[in-house]
Amino acid sequence: MGVTCVCQVPVVEGKSVQQTVEQLHKRLEQLGAVKQGSFFVDCETYHATTNTGAQPSKLLYVMHNSETPLSCLVLFDGGPTLAADANFDVLMVKLKSHFQNAKGHKVESRGARYRYADFLIKVGTVTMSSSARGISVEVEYSACVVPGDCWNLMKEFMQSFLGPSVPDLPSVFSSKAEGLFAPADCMDTMNQYLELFSKIRKQQVLPGSGVR
Amino acid sequence: MEAPPVTVMPVTGGTINMMEYLLQGSVLDQSLDSLLHRLRGLCDNIEPESFADHELVYLLKGRQGNPFILRARRSLAHPTAPWHLRYLGQPEVGDKSRHALVRNCVDVAASHSLPDFLNEMGFRMDHEFVAKGHIFRKGALKVVVSKLSRALVPGNTDNTEPLSLSYLVELSVLAPAGQDTVSEDMRSFAEQLKPLVHLEKIDPKRLM
Repeated sequence: MGVTCVCQVPVVEGKSVQQTVEQLHKRLEQLGAVKQGSFFVDCETYHATTNTGAQPSKLLYVMHNSETPLSCLVLFDGGPTLAADANFDVLMVKLKSHFQNAKGHKVESRGARYRYADFLIKVGTVTMSSSARGISVEVEYSACVVPGDCWNLMKEFMQSFLGPSVPDLPSVFSSKAEGLFAPADCMDTMNQYLELFSKIRKQQVLPGSGVR
Repeated sequence: MEAPPVTVMPVTGGTINMMEYLLQGSVLDQSLDSLLHRLRGLCDNIEPESFADHELVYLLKGRQGNPFILRARRSLAHPTAPWHLRYLGQPEVGDKSRHALVRNCVDVAASHSLPDFLNEMGFRMDHEFVAKGHIFRKGALKVVVSKLSRALVPGNTDNTEPLSLSYLVELSVLAPAGQDTVSEDMRSFAEQLKPLVHLEKIDPKRLM
């Protein structure tokens, strides 16, 4: 696993989410990227029911990524993270008297997966309770694990199909400066998806976005 | 890599309910060798595995009812191996004629951040111990013979003291709920270990 950047792509004015996604696909194909199947990332939110302290308890996020299909990636907002196997989902069912699933909060991003030389690109439609809420683009440069060394290259590549709306270096990396990207798990990626999902959750529902 | 087909997708929502069938007993230290000898003869012909594990028992206390217990285990012999997190349910009262203790069981492999993560979830470490011993297998049956020691200094697994002059012997099988025939197999296996060790159905509640 290399360096990954996840960003939100604004829906083109006058177009639907679906049309914007198709436009991105077309641009990637024109570049010479090859479609390699599909992907998904999802996130369930839990909150502690046994809150003893005065301040509100932190939310617990249980995420899955099709890139690591047998793992559950569990995160606290800005807190420790845990990579566990899929049985963690079963454990959360057992824990339901202590951690309640915020049902309406399930977010997922699904879409196509493209390969372009050392780049892996995933264009996903972000849905919440079956309505399309936005577009996510994940770009992974698999040939390097040091963000500082390949960020400019990634940025240039992203500009080639995203145009000017290229994000800054993800904060998960800027806080680590030249530090090595943790190669064994995809926690940095999941942290970025989590950030994107919470941003999208707070947004107003896009007019005319409907079910895919 | 494509998203895997639905059939190999991880099970979510607890659809597979695994049960642990368990019989327990103990042998005095001086009888250990003859038991191991017998087990080597009875069990699958593979080199018996030795292990040294550190187990931390965590409690999550709610407003009412019993605390929620989770057991986190790490291997002292393989420090880079994942942690093992285990949930064990209350023993089923059910059928008295059943030969083994039956309880719900969820096993999760987890990364090394597990202790920090459990703390963040609100769990607090209640007690810890070190278990050293041997594992034998016979098909689905698992026999664990282990010596339990307490840590004299919390968190320090080098400085331990044996809890007793015996070894704990556990015979267990993991199976989906309702497969009660496994308890028959366990009983006949336990019969073959007599009189070296008497494996019984022990209700942990009775000991509390």
